[in-house]
Amino acid sequence: MRSVCVFTIALACATLADGQPTLTAEQKRLNLESFEFTWSTIRDQYWDPTFGGVNWSSVHDEFRPRIERAATMPETRHLMSQMLGRLGKSHFAIIPADVYGDLDSHEDAGGSGTTGIDVRVLEGHAIVTSVEEGSPAAAQGVRPGWELLSVDGTELAPRLQKVAELYRNATTRELYLTRSVLAKLTGDEGSVARVQFRDGGGAVVRKEIGRIRPRGSLAKFGYLPPSYVWIAARKIESNIGYIAFNLFLDPARLMPEFGDAVHSCTACAGMIIDLRGNPGGLGLMAMGMAGWFIDKPDQRLGTMYTRQAPVKFVVNPRPPVYSGALAIVVDGTSASTSEVFAGGMKDLGRARIFGTLTAGAALPSAIDRLPNGDALQHAMADYISEGGRTLEGTGVIPDVEVKLTREALLSGHDPVLDAAIEWIHTRK
Amino acid sequence: MQLRHGLTRAVFLIGLLCFSGHVRAEEPLPKAEEILDKFVEVTGGKAVYEKVHNEKATGTFEFVGKGVKGTLTSYRAEPNKMYTRVDLENIGAIEDGTDGDTAWTLSALQGPHIKEGEERAVSLRQATLREPILWRKLYKSAETAGIENVDGAPCYKVVLTPNEGKPETQYYDKKSNLMVKMTMTVVSQMGEIPTETVVSEYKEQGGLLSAHKTRHKALGQEFEITIGQIDYNIVMPKDRFDLPNEIKALVKK
Repeated sequence: MRSVCVFTIALACATLADGQPTLTAEQKRLNLESFEFTWSTIRDQYWDPTFGGVNWSSVHDEFRPRIERAATMPETRHLMSQMLGRLGKSHFAIIPADVYGDLDSHEDAGGSGTTGIDVRVLEGHAIVTSVEEGSPAAAQGVRPGWELLSVDGTELAPRLQKVAELYRNATTRELYLTRSVLAKLTGDEGSVARVQFRDGGGAVVRKEIGRIRPRGSLAKFGYLPPSYVWIAARKIESNIGYIAFNLFLDPARLMPEFGDAVHSCTACAGMIIDLRGNPGGLGLMAMGMAGWFIDKPDQRLGTMYTRQAPVKFVVNPRPPVYSGALAIVVDGTSASTSEVFAGGMKDLGRARIFGTLTAGAALPSAIDRLPNGDALQHAMADYISEGGRTLEGTGVIPDVEVKLTREALLSGHDPVLDAAIEWIHTRK
Repeated sequence: MQLRHGLTRAVFLIGLLCFSGHVRAEEPLPKAEEILDKFVEVTGGKAVYEKVHNEKATGTFEFVGKGVKGTLTSYRAEPNKMYTRVDLENIGAIEDGTDGDTAWTLSALQGPHIKEGEERAVSLRQATLREPILWRKLYKSAETAGIENVDGAPCYKVVLTPNEGKPETQYYDKKSNLMVKMTMTVVSQMGEIPTETVVSEYKEQGGLLSAHKTRHKALGQEFEITIGQIDYNIVMPKDRFDLPNEIKALVKK
């Protein structure tokens, strides 16, 4: 299982390989340097010195001549991605320079315009799961439960079938399926998405939906591409706190807002943290957030195993700690730090997990700039949740499995959230 | 071919001789206390150290090659009070300190933590002002373990065993007698992490020579601290070493 980046890069490589300019001698030299950097970084930093049985020296000898012969950048990237794929782990990827963006600028991330639609692929169909209030999609009357049939002339069904087949046995299947639809809906701000839906009554509806700047604030962390980060907190039925956020990033803003949301609900009957669609981010934030719910010191979410030493993901209590019922809502698009948080809180017996199996892509990773301008994302460690389970490739298994259905969405319900609310009521 | 092979072997043997020459038995190793006392001498002398009652250092902090940067401000006062704050761009503040009794850390990411046991002992030791002239109080033994090259320069390797905690190894340049490297296992609540610190850019400020650049390696990551300014005997804010409210809340529990 490779990361989303590897998947999208592989797709990009497949479609762009033809007609690419050939490399100059200088580009070839930089590509070779990048190859050596990538290979030696894995050699020196991969947590398992046996590389899971892969002969890493042989991999070098096999790929170096192929990199030397590569005629285009997509071909080079494809080969380097293939090399990383030999490890068979998530969070190893070559990120093209143009995706990576201008690292020293604070410009908006290009092509991140959104229609305001969130989707999941349910029973093979791309279904609208939410429509952001005030968004172009809301203005066009798009409703949860509608099925997306095509975007900008591209039929989604064959695309979904291909992705589903490729990842038929992977826990990351839902993540990749969702991303493949969202990637079509996303585009330059100001552009228009021409979307064909099947509405609640079964009629085919065509909409032209503008793309706007995503919600939240543009956050930058090191050499990661800038991302829009949002957090939403509200009360349900006046006595249940609800917090959702899209990434474990922008800690300078997110952590205080998360803490305020918890503290504003100290008398609440329960709290729900919605991690659906959250692909992760900074692992330390999971520990920090857990501190608002755990009052016993020296508890940990899990342990990260690096080449040098094991690192405990310790939770520091942050009094006043919320001690009421805590539900965490997840699905197959909850990945990485979301899984560290949900898995650890479940193992500690502090939270009940609702929804569907998470993505099983939980390895901590770093991103290093390569000499040729691309970037290397590489996992530096293995991670075992406090209950002794590796999350990679298995994901967090919910305590209460609840699936979204088109019917429920069309009738204005979120059965996963409803199940969490009901559980909190029974705990009163 | 024979000549070439013989030459290669000769070069290899010369290399071995050069290497082993550093630890020849006939070169007597100085005692650790001589090395440590000489460090005091070359960095300003005991009398100058003794005039220092507090210090403030400011500089920058950077995770090498990750694009994560920040600023650093650190205060120390006798006998062993310390407060350090690192403000990392887009992350927030990480504070670390001790009032000489309670050692703590407070991170925007991870929250508040009171250090105990070995972790506390290391913090109190590192907070000790004028530590180069107080090593006899802080460590129960110091031994010269040999000579090793650091960046091509031969250095005395000194192993110091603290009164509490794991041994530290310090490397002193044979020529200048300045410390150029240190290795130790940092004990934290997250585990025991082997670290290596390369020390460089010694500059004189206030009559004392001190390193202005340190590059730390841990868990496959590197970060660098560059000190821009060190001031001694400043007017220290009265509450500088008071425990933050988040730490006080934990102490009360």
